[in-house]
Amino acid sequence: MQLGHCRFDVGKGELTNLESGNVWHLPRAELQVISLLVDYQGKVVAKALLRSGNGEQPVLSDSSVARAVFTLRSFLGPQYEPLIETVKGQGYLLRHHRCRKNSHSNPNKINRHMPKLIALLTISLVLAIGSYLGLIALSGNVIPPPPPLKVSTIELTSGQVIKVLLYAHSKTNNTLLLEQELHMLQSLSHCPSSTWKRIYLSLSHDKQVLNITMRGEQLGQSIIRNLKISDLRQPKQFISKEWVQNVDICG
Amino acid sequence: MTKACRWAINITILALLLGCIGVIYKLTSKTPSFMFNCSSELFNHQQAKQDINHYLLVDLLSKEGLVQINYRYFNLDGSLAGTLSMQGVVNSVDTDNMIYDISVKTKQETPLTGNKQTPEHYKYLSYVSSLNLNKKGMHNLSIQVLERDETKDFAVVLFQPSNTVCGCRLVHK
Repeated sequence: MQLGHCRFDVGKGELTNLESGNVWHLPRAELQVISLLVDYQGKVVAKALLRSGNGEQPVLSDSSVARAVFTLRSFLGPQYEPLIETVKGQGYLLRHHRCRKNSHSNPNKINRHMPKLIALLTISLVLAIGSYLGLIALSGNVIPPPPPLKVSTIELTSGQVIKVLLYAHSKTNNTLLLEQELHMLQSLSHCPSSTWKRIYLSLSHDKQVLNITMRGEQLGQSIIRNLKISDLRQPKQFISKEWVQNVDICG
Repeated sequence: MTKACRWAINITILALLLGCIGVIYKLTSKTPSFMFNCSSELFNHQQAKQDINHYLLVDLLSKEGLVQINYRYFNLDGSLAGTLSMQGVVNSVDTDNMIYDISVKTKQETPLTGNKQTPEHYKYLSYVSSLNLNKKGMHNLSIQVLERDETKDFAVVLFQPSNTVCGCRLVHK
């Protein structure tokens, strides 16, 4: 029988403090009082009954019962002494209680509370994920653009190096874009020199428009040129020799 | 009521409050303003015909979470070939990756027919944005800055989902 942080062994007549390990072999009065209070736990036990006990022992005096209650409360300690309640004019009552301090030391109790803990954690997790998804939904669908599909360089006869970067909608089925890269590199190879340092190539997701962005510097100023070529023909020929000459690709 | 129930209610209320704080923060936090314009040369290859070419100017302005994108198309002689204006909101700004997530809510189109050909780019943009606006009520796009030099006022940006790279001038406000 657990009483606060103590265990009462009615057979041995002992009260053991589970924290300190102290064992108290109860004197007759204390044993009689605590046994009756345990038998009638949650109910008021009249002083007369506490004095007389089961009738096999001599009747205790009122002061012996009061002293027994006092010493029992002292052993239970300040935290659990209210377990034995004085009911004025009637007697004493042993309260029902749950031992909190020692629950961690009882594996059965842990097992009993485990489903509740799991349920609580699950609810918290679901709510946290729900809130996060709500925020994501509120912020719209952010589609992180992919890194360059390919980066290549070409060295002109002047020794100048131009970097060509390809940006694709996906990592597969980019034959057309890679063909345009080849055309672009071939066209640039004919340039003796160029103002461009970087050239970005991208095909629209429906592969109808080739976007060319050329970035360079001239007299300390940045220069940018955007060319967007639509070609609805089949087969497509975004970059042709004629077109390259017309637009002065070298810059 | 058991202690477990009380804990469950407390945690639920706490999670809801945290969610509300997050939503309020999201709704009230100011998004950085930005403005840039991009000019492009448009080429339209045709079967057995001469190319039809145009110029395109795109102005993108964002202030206090609102965004305005103007597409202005010009013929080679400088005459206007059509305009397309879009208005929307900046949903989020990923400052680490410099990604602006935008939802266009409304648009106005003014195609100029006359005797000149409408730019293919205009047709494409009009078609895709109408498709999304009619179907979803919004036309989502993201803009990621691939390269940027504020001292020289330029940025190379990538528009998604159209997968369009474009070099733009940064305009300081």
